[in-house]
Amino acid sequence: MTVPSGTWPKLTSSEEFRFLSDLVLTRSSADQTIVRLRDHHAGTTRFANNQVIQNVDARRGSLAVTVAFGGQQGTASTTDFTAGAIQDALARAERIARVSPVDPEYLPPPDPCLFPVRATAKPETLAAGPVKRLEYANEAIGHCRMENLMAAGVVASSGTAVGIAASNGLFGYEVRGDARFSLTVQTGDATGWSAAAHRSIDHLKVQERTLAAIAKAKRGRDVCEMPAGQYPVILEPAAVAGLWAWVLWSLDAKSYTKGTSPFAGKLGQAIVDERLTLKNHPDHADLLGEGFTHDGLPSTASLWIDHGVLKQLAYDRFTAKADGINPIPTLEAPALSIAGAPAQSIQDLIKNTDRAILVTNFWYIRPVNPQDLTLTGMTRDGTFLIEKGEIVSAVKNFRFHESPIRAFRHITAWTTPMEAVNSETGKMLVPALALPHFRFSSVTRF
Amino acid sequence: MSSPTWDEFADLALKRITASGAEYGDIRIQDSSTEHIEGEDRRIASIRDIKDVGFGVRVLYHGAWGFAASSVLSLEEVPRVANLAIEIARGSASVALEKVRLVSEPVHRDRVVTPYRIDPFTIPLEKKTDLLLNTMETLHRQSGIARSSASLWAHRDRKLFVSTEGSHLESDLLAGQGDCTATALHEGRFASRSFNTPYLRKGYELIEETDLLREASRVAAQAIEKVKAPVVDAGQYDLVLDPEHLSLTIHESCGHPSELDRALGYEANYAGTSFLTPEKLGNFRYGSQHVNLVADNTESETLAATGYDDDGVQCQQWDVVRNGVFVGYCTNREVASKIGESRSRGSNRADGWSHVPMVRIANIGLEPGSATVDQLIADVKHGIYIEGHGSYSIDQRRYNFQFGGDAFWLIENGRRTHMLRDVIYHGITPEFWNSCDGVADRTARRRYGFITCGKGQPGQSGWMTHAASPARFRQIHVIRGEGSA
Repeated sequence: MTVPSGTWPKLTSSEEFRFLSDLVLTRSSADQTIVRLRDHHAGTTRFANNQVIQNVDARRGSLAVTVAFGGQQGTASTTDFTAGAIQDALARAERIARVSPVDPEYLPPPDPCLFPVRATAKPETLAAGPVKRLEYANEAIGHCRMENLMAAGVVASSGTAVGIAASNGLFGYEVRGDARFSLTVQTGDATGWSAAAHRSIDHLKVQERTLAAIAKAKRGRDVCEMPAGQYPVILEPAAVAGLWAWVLWSLDAKSYTKGTSPFAGKLGQAIVDERLTLKNHPDHADLLGEGFTHDGLPSTASLWIDHGVLKQLAYDRFTAKADGINPIPTLEAPALSIAGAPAQSIQDLIKNTDRAILVTNFWYIRPVNPQDLTLTGMTRDGTFLIEKGEIVSAVKNFRFHESPIRAFRHITAWTTPMEAVNSETGKMLVPALALPHFRFSSVTRF
Repeated sequence: MSSPTWDEFADLALKRITASGAEYGDIRIQDSSTEHIEGEDRRIASIRDIKDVGFGVRVLYHGAWGFAASSVLSLEEVPRVANLAIEIARGSASVALEKVRLVSEPVHRDRVVTPYRIDPFTIPLEKKTDLLLNTMETLHRQSGIARSSASLWAHRDRKLFVSTEGSHLESDLLAGQGDCTATALHEGRFASRSFNTPYLRKGYELIEETDLLREASRVAAQAIEKVKAPVVDAGQYDLVLDPEHLSLTIHESCGHPSELDRALGYEANYAGTSFLTPEKLGNFRYGSQHVNLVADNTESETLAATGYDDDGVQCQQWDVVRNGVFVGYCTNREVASKIGESRSRGSNRADGWSHVPMVRIANIGLEPGSATVDQLIADVKHGIYIEGHGSYSIDQRRYNFQFGGDAFWLIENGRRTHMLRDVIYHGITPEFWNSCDGVADRTARRRYGFITCGKGQPGQSGWMTHAASPARFRQIHVIRGEGSA
């Protein structure tokens, strides 16, 4: 290909965002006004059956204007950055706000502050275009072809300019890069999978992850069916992240206050194994930390679960004010750790296991009972029986019926935290975990 | 100087594509408006007015695809994006093993407009927010309701599709929806019950024809009854499923497996593949003789009835399952030839200008049978009647599924009795549909739409409608939706 990345249009700069936001702020008649920018340039190379099936590049800029007269508010957005369109968005937002009922939970924009500066924009990711993505896709496909296996996956990279400006002087601007690779290797009914997400496209470890997915798929060729029931399990990091994502999403403080949270009444109490600690770690190089939130709050390092005890809830600004919470903690870069001596690797966890099911990943996890956070979902892309320290066979995929609150009450062994991401959750740092009991409720056909 | 027309922008892009030597190209220019009003706990929590304008250019060069898109609709940007799409397609072609071949489609020149009586964007906001506030007040009138929500949604797409083959398709399509939910608290337990108008391609008459306050009163009372209801005992039950509930069952267990791109492995890395592999076409017993599943993208007011798909193929009607046998896939112009079909079914849709179209589930519906709903229930000794959507999950080949619901009633000796809670059923798709022994008649047929069907990388939200009359399924395994099951 001949498209040099230098010829691509640039992301909206901080100065340009200030100019655009001033167009709104200087013309607004509202008591308070907020302008939000999201200028997203992204490309994805998608492959299946060992060849590229989709190769795309898209640029979408969006400005959203929120205004308030007293507690009456309205929001209007546009993808057109011309002065006329931006002023039209302001006029639409004002029109909405003037006829809206007063929102008793309305709060003016947060006070201006200096947001932390984080390394969210890696030049190698922002410069990566279709050529780089195709190179990585070909690398994965090439390995699979050599082994007579089928590859399906994506290589994606993006850069996003994100900004917030308000009539009280609040101003934030940040460029966020994001690179992703995921691969499913197929051989007959067996599949193996691996995935990565990172601020730097150079850290996707395409070769290493491709070989891991290939090894999983090859190991899955000889499959047996195990009956549904309760088993000891070893959950690889992606599977752990899949379950923990639902714990994180259920920490909403408003639901907690109203009594419609699985954690209602449990703040300050042990909710999981006493060795587990959950922190927000926005400065960690392998997590996708950000400088500020959609609400214009600085993202912060914070402690959420301390040695099994629930210490923090996810607050909206209104509930935080009512509960006297300041600053409001954020949770965009979760890191789960366990006190004590970890196993050196997943392989060591396996070696020390008499009998268990090894789960690579879960799929289609959905809540069954919000009261006790019982979830269901399927194992996917590598489920194995471990006996006497070895993987002895692949097993047909299970459906699970389990609450992470119960499952993580006792952990028998673990590794150090590792990068984890899957198709339905954001990125986390989590260990692989051995659990003594995990309920599989049925078995599928493959 | 007046700004160029959409046709002039399209011409600019297509000239570049034709000059490049590409065998096919198209451009979609789209202007979308969305108004979403959300109420929560007796307050209007947000009102959003979203305008989204942009274009996407798709190029097929030497049998390989390239696509580029931009929200900047200008004389400089359209050629840049067209050139980028061409260059990306050239890159794809350099590594292509098997060349994409599009099945033919007549050239169409047409304009498609949603018929409507009342433009939802002309209704005063005060009227809509009053309706939502009154709805939430009605929900809270029932003692024991701890939380409430209500919302109204309206969407309009104005689109131009032009291809290098000469098709020129304009559309102006509307869609709308409204809903409310009550959450009841009782002895530390909570349970929710919802009402939704279907997502349909109608004007604001969709809302005006609905008595939202009466529905709010009903669901609030049922939320209270539900939270106090006994937990189901696990075991085998006959199930009678209402149309709203069935819309999700059809979507997950018939819709997705009948997407041919999945069956061919295109989605293997994300949404998954399909147990309905091509050798099963025409001979696989998917369900009982009562099961007739028809794809109909021509039925007025349904979400996938867009006149034409994003390949420029005219919308059609076809059988997916006839008398229980799997007989048809959802296809596009790329994959149709891989099963020897000479024309696409017209099910290639993108969720906006910035995404490339792909095979999407059609408006697949369960054909009515001949029984009345009362007759279906009368022939059940020990069963459960299920309404609405609850928990749902299915494996990546669409065999093993598990569904909950929004409301459950125990059926004993042919009579619907009291409510139950925490009902979950699971099964294997073809076994489940083969247990169907009755479908209610056309008078009980209802349509429900989906606008958040996830598929593709980057992810897209598909829109489609599933219609059904209530249907009965024998001896289905039911478990409790709590951890001790």
